[in-house]
Amino acid sequence: MLKTNSTRFSSIGDRIFDAGNYIFMIILVFVTLYPFINMFALSFNDANDSIRGDIYFWPREWTLRNYAYVFNESNVFYATFISAARTIVGTAVSVFCTAMLAYAISRPEYKLKKFIAITFIFTMYFSGGLIPNYLLIKELGMLNSFWVYIIPGIIGVFNMIVIRSFIEGLPEGIMESAKMDGAGDLTTFLRIVLPLTMPALATVSLFVAVYQWNSWFDVFLYNSSRHDLSTLQYELVKILSTSDTGSSAADQYADAQGSADIVTPTSVRATMTIVASLPIIMVYPFLQKYFVKGMIVGGVKG
Amino acid sequence: MEKQPVQLTGSTSDDSRLVAFFKALSKQKMLMLMSLPFLAWVIVFKYVPLWGWTIAFQKYRLGRDIFDQAWVGWDNFTALFQEQQFYLVLRNTLVMSSINLVLGFVTAIGLALLLNELRRIAFKRTVQTISYLPHFISWVVAANIVQTALAPEGIINVLLLQFNMIDKPILWLGVGEYFWGILGVTEVWKNVGFNTIIYLAAITTIDPTQYEAARIDGASRLQQMWHITLPGMKPVIVILLIMNLGHILESGFEPQYLLGNGMNVEYSENLDIFVLKYGIQMNNYGLATAAGMFKTVVSFIFLIVANNLAKRLGESRLY
Amino acid sequence: MRNKKWLPTSLAVVTAVSLLLAGCSSNNGEGAKTNNTNSSSATDEKTEEVSTDPVTFSYFAFGTNKDVLASETTIGKILQEQTGVDWKMEFVAGDPTTKAGVMIAGGAYPDVISPVGELAMLLDAEALIPLNDLIEKHGPNIKRVYGPYMDKITNEDGNIYILPFTANIGGYLTDPDAGSSIWIQRRVLKEFGYPKVKTLDQYFELIEKYQAKYPTVDGKDTIGYATFAGEPGQFYTVTNAPMHLAGYPNDGNVMVDMKTHEAKLYQGTDYEKQWLQSLYEMNLKGLLDPESFTANGDQFKAKLTSGRVLGFSGYTWQIGDAINNLKKAGNDDLRYVSLPIVFDESITDAYMDPPSFVNNRGLGISVSAKDPVRIIKYWDNLLTDENQKLVQWGEKDVTYSVNEKGRYVMSDEQLANRNDNEYKRKYGWAYFDYEWPRYGDNSVYEDGNAHRPFSQPEVANINYTDGDRALLDAYGIATFSDFFAKPVERPWYPAWSIEKEQNSPEDIFNQKAADLQQKYYPKLALAPEGQFDSVWNDYLKEFGKLDAAGFEAFMTAKVKDRVAGKW
Repeated sequence: MLKTNSTRFSSIGDRIFDAGNYIFMIILVFVTLYPFINMFALSFNDANDSIRGDIYFWPREWTLRNYAYVFNESNVFYATFISAARTIVGTAVSVFCTAMLAYAISRPEYKLKKFIAITFIFTMYFSGGLIPNYLLIKELGMLNSFWVYIIPGIIGVFNMIVIRSFIEGLPEGIMESAKMDGAGDLTTFLRIVLPLTMPALATVSLFVAVYQWNSWFDVFLYNSSRHDLSTLQYELVKILSTSDTGSSAADQYADAQGSADIVTPTSVRATMTIVASLPIIMVYPFLQKYFVKGMIVGGVKG
Repeated sequence: MEKQPVQLTGSTSDDSRLVAFFKALSKQKMLMLMSLPFLAWVIVFKYVPLWGWTIAFQKYRLGRDIFDQAWVGWDNFTALFQEQQFYLVLRNTLVMSSINLVLGFVTAIGLALLLNELRRIAFKRTVQTISYLPHFISWVVAANIVQTALAPEGIINVLLLQFNMIDKPILWLGVGEYFWGILGVTEVWKNVGFNTIIYLAAITTIDPTQYEAARIDGASRLQQMWHITLPGMKPVIVILLIMNLGHILESGFEPQYLLGNGMNVEYSENLDIFVLKYGIQMNNYGLATAAGMFKTVVSFIFLIVANNLAKRLGESRLY
Repeated sequence: MRNKKWLPTSLAVVTAVSLLLAGCSSNNGEGAKTNNTNSSSATDEKTEEVSTDPVTFSYFAFGTNKDVLASETTIGKILQEQTGVDWKMEFVAGDPTTKAGVMIAGGAYPDVISPVGELAMLLDAEALIPLNDLIEKHGPNIKRVYGPYMDKITNEDGNIYILPFTANIGGYLTDPDAGSSIWIQRRVLKEFGYPKVKTLDQYFELIEKYQAKYPTVDGKDTIGYATFAGEPGQFYTVTNAPMHLAGYPNDGNVMVDMKTHEAKLYQGTDYEKQWLQSLYEMNLKGLLDPESFTANGDQFKAKLTSGRVLGFSGYTWQIGDAINNLKKAGNDDLRYVSLPIVFDESITDAYMDPPSFVNNRGLGISVSAKDPVRIIKYWDNLLTDENQKLVQWGEKDVTYSVNEKGRYVMSDEQLANRNDNEYKRKYGWAYFDYEWPRYGDNSVYEDGNAHRPFSQPEVANINYTDGDRALLDAYGIATFSDFFAKPVERPWYPAWSIEKEQNSPEDIFNQKAADLQQKYYPKLALAPEGQFDSVWNDYLKEFGKLDAAGFEAFMTAKVKDRVAGKW
């Protein structure tokens, strides 16, 4: 439906602009794709050979050993499952709850609107610290449980603000007419607001999903002794730390017997980057279909 | 706005206002149900742990309860503010986060505008997806790529030599003055694609008929971008700007730590690295907490000023 | 279901607050500790015989490794058959200090802990139990091994909290493959007929001569000298040099006088100046790689493997990958050898570690341990000659053989296995040969065999290539260790293991002095011609603001304590 916009009115100036834009985009694609090409090349290159450097776009000595090393960890597949579970559950719960709260505080007539908004906004700028947070989780009985991945992240304040500003951008008439038809707040939220703010919800879902998928610090803090709750990212952190044979540099007593190892942190890290990020990268193209212009009919507010 | 009974001024007004307030509130049961559970959540998960701030006034020792700690008053704050190094890292933090803020906003908005002008949907989606890839690279990997590119025989020097812009290779990371610029560009490279997403979402809310009308009036593409797309994004831009101004003392940690070295340390070391070295690594939780509280105070000042400014300018605001 | 608890709690704020306060007060180490003493004394009274009921204890190390159940390894299985004890072994992944912090805050510890760098923190939190009585009652072998070191393992309060990993017994065997941290490319030595290189000036001169003769290799410029100081965490590579060059071993940031036992900082001394001035002069000649101060580990290693660097500084644990890569590549000319370089002819080098006892690394039992007696008995059993051979050599005729002279030897294949990380994990060496109560690395068995396979000359020899042998022959020596002077007894060694109380003036001095070095070393080494002295004076002025005398007094007192037997 967008094709209609690009009719042949284009002036010369517009054409120059288009050409420049395309050239810029191609450079951008090259610059931003490079790290992945580089990681790809490194991950398929012999680790011992990679030490020599100068691997840029293509492997010099092909090998699958880096992947074998990473996948050899019995836990990787199971951990991927846990990662997927926390990403799906965490995103669904968080986006729904955050949107609901955002709706409530976007209602101009709601008496507690400002109080609640401020109470939440301020939390973006302080933290009680690591130890108090740990003790809280412990006292709530959430140590060594799956819920520690979900409950502490129910509301994302940043996301709440984003959704609220989209809701406030909706034409007031829509909500008014819903009210006229006798719809309560819950119905308005579920039937009207949720569908109309799909671009915002898609954006926020992406943010939450990326956050959930990439987290490992909460696993480290709260669930490190529950191997059955370990996530992919945490397993990779562990693999990385053990691949570093000379890692104990800080600990000068470390055994310096250089054993002929087949992996190096650099190669493992490259392999991990490919393994861990490919699944989550796939989420964006999928969500892009919600980024369609003009979805909200007449939804303009300056 | 809803209509309210006319209020009387005077001593009785407080009572009646309160009555009116609760009367109105009682009609908003569903909204309360939709928000109060989360208010309880935020208090438990965000406000309760604030008891940890007492650590700033202690010579904190782990594993002892709050009554067994030695209380030291404002000593941790004095130590922090008397430290010569503190002002240097504060300067670095402010400069780096300002650069990141400005560059981050300008490039993300600019990219969103340009992406919006791409007419081939498939190409546009491909560019979008690829441009956000560097976000998924860990900083260790990203820093390594930057270091390789900036080495004396790295691509940057090779190119500059090729085009005769310099006559001998520059040790980019060895010159302190260059560090802020390098960091700014690196941050843009890594995050511009990801930061653009939210603006692309904002653009979807713009009514297409506006463009139609503008075209009929003979507006050029640039004019359309300037007069329609950009204003359409403004509410989101302003909100994000206010929120980010509150984070003025957060300039990141990993990139500075990884790209920093002895030659640029006077420019690269920021507050978080300082706190790591003198607070956390030395188990000085008191100092670390004091620094955290200082950051919060500064954040609030920036946040409140920015929000009031937005209010006065008639822009959308945070609260 | 178990987690239903959170719902009502999170809704009732008041309850949560009160819960939390209650939680804090139950977290103190004191309470847990009293419990423990009760239980352990109760067990003591019961019976003296060793139970072999199957039991699994938890083991946590602040070192890195892959988590494992001990019985899944060959060694762990054998030890389990002897004792009935199995271990759930966990290692830190992520920041150790953070991990220790939450462990202490939470108050629940694994049964045994190897604290590595977190010892001070765990001791301060009273997380470890005293082992004195347990050893006395249940540890004949522990007493045999650690007896000579009692003064070194006893804390100031009279208690023993950890059993360190460096209790050498039966003699002292030096590492046949020792090295220094200052290297030269072998083709440089070859070019000039394998000259004797002893002083820093000779070393740099040789590099200069070679570079003048061969300014390029394969079309790329040769690099005279580089040092690995581009990563903040690796800066000690360049700062440790003056100490080594002045003929002192790695005592951290001090040099200890052999007679007076005064600990003197070398920061700000003429030694440091001489070192930096040499770098400065090399730089003026274009022989110092400016990237020394900016390159990361990967870049530095890539540079070494390119063969362009003629000489460099770095410790084996930093650049081992590159050294191995060059060895595998097989071109002996491009490989490196480390040399006993010192400032001048009169100085005896001290690159080889003196007999040392590292008393701040060890394994301890936590206050949460369910059965300390059982644990101490397991450790005691581990310290028999037989089991110590198991954790180092493995099983006879499987992982090593005994030749007709009664010497332990390894075939190429056995040695390859002993070096292979995957095999080491499966067999259990990766888990049992280090972070447990053990014989020190330099120990010798009664039959004269080395405790460490790599210290056994017969084994070390297999590792030498033809090129290695040729080089050793040219210098008329048998092992690489022969380059270096024999270590001298230094009863305090190593001074870097002297614990400084966290956040104490000494601790802060350490950090500040290091910050200053990081800032000034590059400035000095890369100073423009004629400006070295003025930068040096700036550096001295800044350094003068720190309480160096106080730090030296602290270190001297600690060193003297150690010499007097109070560790």
